[in-house]
Amino acid sequence: MKFSLAVYSAPHSSQSAASALRFAKALLAEGHEIYRVFFYCDGIQIGNNIAAPPQDESNLAREWQALQREYKLDLVICIAAAQRRGVLSQREAERLERPSANLAEGFELAGLGQLTDAVANSERLVTFGS
Amino acid sequence: MGNKTLTICRAAPYGSALAREGLEAILAAAAMGQEVDLLFLGDGVFQLLDNQSPEGIQQKSLHRNLQALPMFGPEQLYVCASSLSERGINPKQIKIPGIDIKVIEKPGALIASYQCVLNF
Repeated sequence: MKFSLAVYSAPHSSQSAASALRFAKALLAEGHEIYRVFFYCDGIQIGNNIAAPPQDESNLAREWQALQREYKLDLVICIAAAQRRGVLSQREAERLERPSANLAEGFELAGLGQLTDAVANSERLVTFGS
Repeated sequence: MGNKTLTICRAAPYGSALAREGLEAILAAAAMGQEVDLLFLGDGVFQLLDNQSPEGIQQKSLHRNLQALPMFGPEQLYVCASSLSERGINPKQIKIPGIDIKVIEKPGALIASYQCVLNF
């Protein structure tokens, strides 16, 4: 079955962000397809590559990146939510005249239309966090 | 595009960013021609009160954003009757110019009639 995931919660703040990753792994292990993972609201913090969680704690961003490489996942971060909270690609940092870019590899910034598109093209959309 | 969508608005308008960002997602979907209906449930019913004055807390009016909905298409707005009565809100206090808001008794049956449900 074709799934999309919507993640609203920030990593390291609530369990739901970690549950989203585990759910994605379970889907792929069962042979399902993930059409897109859309990070919205505080969930966009997953794409902040200057976050440095302690070595002995889980590193959700790194795990998503590994999954992305293995399965060519479409990991999309809402550009408007990311601008508000300070996750910028090199291009956005230059356009908005911010001092640095910090978008992690494996994630891309795009508009809310990508969430609408995921709703229209997936058989199931599962939301994590509120 | 397929998949008739219901968006459930559960968050009060200014306590968190969820209500605002949810509405932004709804407007984006509507602008793309997706059929989206809205259900206001729980604290989400506070979004519909017509006497909001968020400038007192340096916030932009969410109620004004809701008024933009009719420009994007034929969405139907529903509000849960028991969510209103639990919060002491009279249905006469909820109003969005140009929009008919249906008060419903059984949100479960409504939710079950949609192929896709978004939650904010």
